[in-house]
Amino acid sequence: MIRFDNISKRYPSGLEALKRVNFELEAGEMAFLTGPSGAGKSTLLKLLMLMERPSSGTLLINGKNLNRLSRSLIPSYRRQIGVVFQNHQLLSDRSVFENVALPLQISGYPSSETGRRVRAALDGVGLLGKESHNPLTLSGGEQQRVGIARAVVHKPKILLADEPTGNLDPTLSAEIMALFRRFQSVGVTILIATHDINLINSLDHRIMHLEDGILTDDGAHSNGR
Amino acid sequence: MMVRTPMVGSLNKRDTARGASDQKVRLVDRWRSYRAHHRTTFSTTLQKMAREPIQTTLTVVVIAIALALPSAMFLALHNVQQLSSGFESSAQITVFVKKETNSQQVAQLGKQLDDLPEVSAIIFISADQALEEFRALSGFGSALQYLDENPLPAVFLVQPAMSGATDLKQAQQLVKAIDQLAAVEDVQVDMKWIQRLATITEVSKKLVLAMGMALGVGVLLVIGNTIRLAIQNRREEIIVVKLVGATDAYVRRPFLYTGLLLGLFGGVMASILLLGSFFWIGRSVAVLADLYQSQFQLAGPGLAGILALCLLGALIGLVGAWIAVMQNLRAIEPK
Repeated sequence: MIRFDNISKRYPSGLEALKRVNFELEAGEMAFLTGPSGAGKSTLLKLLMLMERPSSGTLLINGKNLNRLSRSLIPSYRRQIGVVFQNHQLLSDRSVFENVALPLQISGYPSSETGRRVRAALDGVGLLGKESHNPLTLSGGEQQRVGIARAVVHKPKILLADEPTGNLDPTLSAEIMALFRRFQSVGVTILIATHDINLINSLDHRIMHLEDGILTDDGAHSNGR
Repeated sequence: MMVRTPMVGSLNKRDTARGASDQKVRLVDRWRSYRAHHRTTFSTTLQKMAREPIQTTLTVVVIAIALALPSAMFLALHNVQQLSSGFESSAQITVFVKKETNSQQVAQLGKQLDDLPEVSAIIFISADQALEEFRALSGFGSALQYLDENPLPAVFLVQPAMSGATDLKQAQQLVKAIDQLAAVEDVQVDMKWIQRLATITEVSKKLVLAMGMALGVGVLLVIGNTIRLAIQNRREEIIVVKLVGATDAYVRRPFLYTGLLLGLFGGVMASILLLGSFFWIGRSVAVLADLYQSQFQLAGPGLAGILALCLLGALIGLVGAWIAVMQNLRAIEPK
């Protein structure tokens, strides 16, 4: 589903964030991306979201070369992936419902189906009762779950998460991870960047390790699917 | 945490039912939601404007004044032209006959004038007729009885065939030709000032047009700046919607609507200002025209003019917003 082929990323500042990274993620696989801050985890996710382009190497998604995707096709690509951001990226000028509905609205779903799907997604993260709230009135864990609902509401094949448990206590983190596992069980390919070692070790999943831009361990042997 | 599975279940069902085409949204739904987005963008733009009444009003007033000013001046010049074209058609050459001319010579002069190709009509006013007219109109009738003889000359009123002011050269030649005729004392023509007025109005029209264009650019900049600020205020939102797959057109839309509506409101307000001052001034002009026994009526902007002004405002608003969006939106990319 996701394949990195000799990918390097060098920023204009001269920083080499990724050095010849190779790995492949099968469809329906769930993997963690670990490593210290500045090791290149965010850069790797940004390449997958097309927020950045690789300096060299080939990035294949579902067999398609992402390097060749023109700027005008980026929106339709992004509609096919779901992203959970560390800082939630929720819009405070609208309700929880409207935040979650955003990807559907952008993709052009009919409003009846939008309502049904949004409520299903909010139900899935246990926030159905808070759909009319403003995101700012919710707790950190709830905001993160709204972000997850928005990332999965359009049923993406790929789910990316950048430090989804970054600011949460262990209990909440475990709940979030349980959510991700549920999505994996229905065939979503999931890549989670995190430095929450305790949490990862408690789970039996593939763990990839980045160190200074180099993928020191692609974790393929510990594939726990 | 309670995590039930209805959503996951439905995801499963859908996946098997629709397979890979699950991501696709039907074209008709897309069209419908495209229109829906236009509708919601339109209404949320209006709501956002209503939420900042002072900012919105200020912008609209600035646009309205910038649109109304050149429109009003153009309209005024148009009226001056209307007025002076009325004079043009009534431009006459007055030919004064020498005092000691006998009636035979006068008849001959009349025939000579009538034979000139540039003359369309002549009217003869004899010295006696002129005296009668003077007595009737001037109010100095009683003073005339102290005069020994009629001081007034006989007069030919000559109507030139061409359209007056625009053919001043021709008129001058005609005047010269008449002047050389025997029995002519003096020739008077009141065309020069008409032509000067016409030229001044032409020049003023061009000046107003230039001023209008400059003010139009000003409106463009005002709207552009407003939109630029709006874009910066909504930076976060733009990044988020881009991250979840919004196209450039989707991101652009609310800002284009803002520009369009600001321009349209500016145009509507300019029309109101224009109509208001038109009726205000029009009443005084009617009184003035009445005093001069003139049929002149102030020409208004008309329905077409009002519509054009509103549309022009909307168009300038849209273009201004488009320029601002083009300059500022590309720079905002999720990082």
